[in-house]
Amino acid sequence: MKTTLLAGALGLLLPVIGLAGEYNLTVDRVQIDTGDFVKEGIGYNGASPGPVLRFKEGEEVSINVTNNLNEMTSIHWHGMILPFTQDGVPGISFPGIEPGETFTYKFPITQSGTYWFHSHSGFQEPDGAYGAIVIEPEGREPFRYDRDYVVQLTDKHPHSGDRIMRNLKIMPDYYNREQQTVGEFFSEASDNGLMATVKDRMAWGDMRMMKADVEDLQGFTGLINGKGPDQNWTGIFEPGERIRLRFINSSAMTYFDIRIPGLEMTVVQADGNNVQPVTVDEFRIGVAETYDVIVRPKEEQAYTIFAESMGRSGYARGTLAPEAGMVAAVPELREAARLTMADMSGMEGMDHSSMAGMEGMSGMDHSGMAGMEGMDHSKMTGMDHSGMKGMEGMDHSKMAGMDHSGMKGMEGMDHSAMGEGSMASMGGASDPFYAEGSGLVPTAANGGKFLSYADLRAQKPLYDEREPTREIELKLTGNMERYTWSINGVKYEDADPIRLQYGERVRFKFVNTTMMTHPMHLHGMWSMLDVGAGQFNPVKHTISVQPGTTVYMETEVDEPGQWAFHCHLSYHAAAGMFRKVIVEGGPASTQAASDDQPGNVGGDA
Amino acid sequence: MSVSKFVVAALAMSVSAVALGAGAHEDGHGQGAKSGEPGKASDAGRSITVQMYDNYYEPESIDVKPGETVRFVVENKGSLVHEFNIGTPAMHESHQKEMTMMVEHGVIQGGKLNRDMMEMDMGNGMSMKHDDPNSLLLEAGESQEVVWKFSEKGNIEFACNVPGHYQAGMYGEVNFN
Amino acid sequence: MKLWIPLMVGTVLGLSVMPTLAFAQERVRDTTERKAPLKVWGAQFEEFEYRYSDDDEELGVWSGDFFYGTDALKVRWLTKGEYAIEEQAYEKLENQIVGQIPISDFFDAKAGIRFDTPEGPDRTYAVLGVAGLAPQWFEIDANLYVSKDGDTSAALDAEYELLFTNYWILSATLDATVAFSEDREIGVGKGLVSTETGLRLSYDLIDRAFSPYVGVVYERKYGNTADFAREDGGGTEDWFAVVGARLLF
Repeated sequence: MKTTLLAGALGLLLPVIGLAGEYNLTVDRVQIDTGDFVKEGIGYNGASPGPVLRFKEGEEVSINVTNNLNEMTSIHWHGMILPFTQDGVPGISFPGIEPGETFTYKFPITQSGTYWFHSHSGFQEPDGAYGAIVIEPEGREPFRYDRDYVVQLTDKHPHSGDRIMRNLKIMPDYYNREQQTVGEFFSEASDNGLMATVKDRMAWGDMRMMKADVEDLQGFTGLINGKGPDQNWTGIFEPGERIRLRFINSSAMTYFDIRIPGLEMTVVQADGNNVQPVTVDEFRIGVAETYDVIVRPKEEQAYTIFAESMGRSGYARGTLAPEAGMVAAVPELREAARLTMADMSGMEGMDHSSMAGMEGMSGMDHSGMAGMEGMDHSKMTGMDHSGMKGMEGMDHSKMAGMDHSGMKGMEGMDHSAMGEGSMASMGGASDPFYAEGSGLVPTAANGGKFLSYADLRAQKPLYDEREPTREIELKLTGNMERYTWSINGVKYEDADPIRLQYGERVRFKFVNTTMMTHPMHLHGMWSMLDVGAGQFNPVKHTISVQPGTTVYMETEVDEPGQWAFHCHLSYHAAAGMFRKVIVEGGPASTQAASDDQPGNVGGDA
Repeated sequence: MSVSKFVVAALAMSVSAVALGAGAHEDGHGQGAKSGEPGKASDAGRSITVQMYDNYYEPESIDVKPGETVRFVVENKGSLVHEFNIGTPAMHESHQKEMTMMVEHGVIQGGKLNRDMMEMDMGNGMSMKHDDPNSLLLEAGESQEVVWKFSEKGNIEFACNVPGHYQAGMYGEVNFN
Repeated sequence: MKLWIPLMVGTVLGLSVMPTLAFAQERVRDTTERKAPLKVWGAQFEEFEYRYSDDDEELGVWSGDFFYGTDALKVRWLTKGEYAIEEQAYEKLENQIVGQIPISDFFDAKAGIRFDTPEGPDRTYAVLGVAGLAPQWFEIDANLYVSKDGDTSAALDAEYELLFTNYWILSATLDATVAFSEDREIGVGKGLVSTETGLRLSYDLIDRAFSPYVGVVYERKYGNTADFAREDGGGTEDWFAVVGARLLF
């Protein structure tokens, strides 16, 4: 009788106590077997990747992290909104976790979706210290599925992170085995003519830049959930089921183009936040990004999950099958990617008039041009229209190859003069988030739809729309020969922190003056990528900025403290493309809390 | 609101007779007859309220008898445009292609419909008027009714064919008892 | 009336707390490695080879450097040698210690000392140079040497690589030395002293760490230097077949 009363009373109290989960992680040296090679690295709970942490929205989590290494470590919860002292960046959030120490992270879960965690010390993350986070929502999701799998990608390399960094500093093309050769010169000469090819080589030689500079790190084995292509991670399904695949790109340097031959994918989440569903045949996932897709395999057969690196030097591969052991054909890698002059268009101080092969108006930012009535559009091919409003009264009959994805208000257009083919094919291979004529514009291997940032719309706006209080321009800069990477020409070691005021809404303008893609990641606060959808701009944590482009994102500064803000390419961040963001002010209670923080304590980066 | 409701209903009634022969549309519509036909309001034995959210229905399945006439009161409680379309999975698949064109031309803009654009002549006698008798295309906050008479047992679903919604799970089963 | 006391106290207290608050904002200072300049070290041998000349001369030759530093300043020890195997003597042995700093996107300036200790008289020079990547991918290393006695000379080293494949690489090198004053003791005449041109075909066997090569080298002395060489009973030009490896750690 008494026990039942007690149990009953406890049951009544449970909702008051709230969900509180305790989790334990150990940081260990582990063996990583990719199928191509075995290498010692770092893992969690004895393995790399670490476990999938499963939280519930509303839970108060307590994570005990024990450092079994003989060097400092840390864990950063990528994409999580939490108090800055729990963010896990040594030197910015806390001093780090000493060897032998157990540090307890405590924070409330105020979001749901797919995220990940990784070490923020040295090159422990490329060495294997990463894992996944899956958070169940409180309510129902705006989509349904019968089962889900985490599909976590990485680019495991036979060299350790420290060694790779040193090699890149000594010789920036150390790992690039896709450079242009004498053979390529001759085949290009036969295709385009000898003079044209010579002119092209000389134009690039003048800049001392390589078209082949797409991937700094090659020679890796792509892993899916820790398994190399030969080991073949397999997800089992029953034909007819809807499967949610939680793609996480946990690699150090590699962008992957993902497709499942035979299956189309419906993207329902990007960076943990719901997006209005978009069905695609292929998508590119930048370093540190996540995309959740729903697939519905109907046949009793295996499907290959093929993740081809953006530069086409390597791949990761997994399988979806009704039974273990079934495999499907693995596609061949496509031809190596090559940059074009359009990708160079962001470089400052370049004399464009001498640049061979530049046609039309590549790489221009048109978003500031209002009122384009009466213009002669016949010569304007392939413009970036995403910022243009109010195109009434235009004569569209001569406009070939326009990208309409961002255009609003096309009333009164006369389509009869517009050539055959659906509107979708009018733009050819173009994506407003790539420089016009870029060599990196992705195309779906099966000729179908390739996801663009321009397709992403928040399912539900997270913040009220309001005018930004100010704009901060961040030029993404670097010197490939010296392998130094920086923001506004200044490396982290020489840079002042970026100071923001609690309560403001900052519009960040990323201007990529380099010829590489940079996935920019702001810790602790959401980045609302401007795709021209106002309130419905997608809410992300990592924003990829392509060469020669300018990308805008807005942040509501609502988390006090200090936050890291950096390019998530591991060797770029370490070479200087990093900043500390200080949020000044905040709600009174948190102000007092920050006074209690420990002061100067050394630690591992 | 009620004026447009009347107009749509009237259009639906008048068009229903030529639904079978609507050659401008793709195959899917020719099969419209298989899933049933527009019913007469007076024959409707009961009313089922279907609420559309982002991106799912409540309820997610309904039970009907072969030959039954049901009045559906469809409410769009989401913030996006949604469709309530009764048909076979094959019909839904082909209808999705048409809806994709509508999105590309800016007919469907988030939670609103550009009704002027729907009138646009796309050439070849095609337009983007969404006037199929077996479906309702509603803006955020709109409600409308459709009366449907189910024919024999079949693989019928009610679904939203706004691009991506069906794949995300915005469909429901029609169970024949 | 008596309100001004608490008001004063409050203001003083508030003012005294303010600096602490501002300091508290940056309390967690970044003293990690990330905030310190990235340090890099390396060792490389562009040449590490056996040379066989048309005069049956056999030489062991190397040209390498060891470096340590940051983007702002690197310290390098460069070493060059030609060891005559039969005679068991160093025909050439140069060691340089230089400090190197960036002066433009693609070029560094360097300054240091060079010690020449071959078979024969020793020499010490002050070194001032510029090294980097010139347009069209020519690696340039240009140096000015001033000896203790005021003898000045200049050397230009240039290298160009042609990729037959991503692993088979043909490199062409040209080293030219010019002397502005005569140094008879070591056989250096005024004017163009010598050139060494090489063509080496290498294969990247182990990453970029070990790349064996075969090649051909042509050495030639000019003008007064050639005269001195003939007087001393030596030759003025030599062709060598070479086999060796590029090393990089």
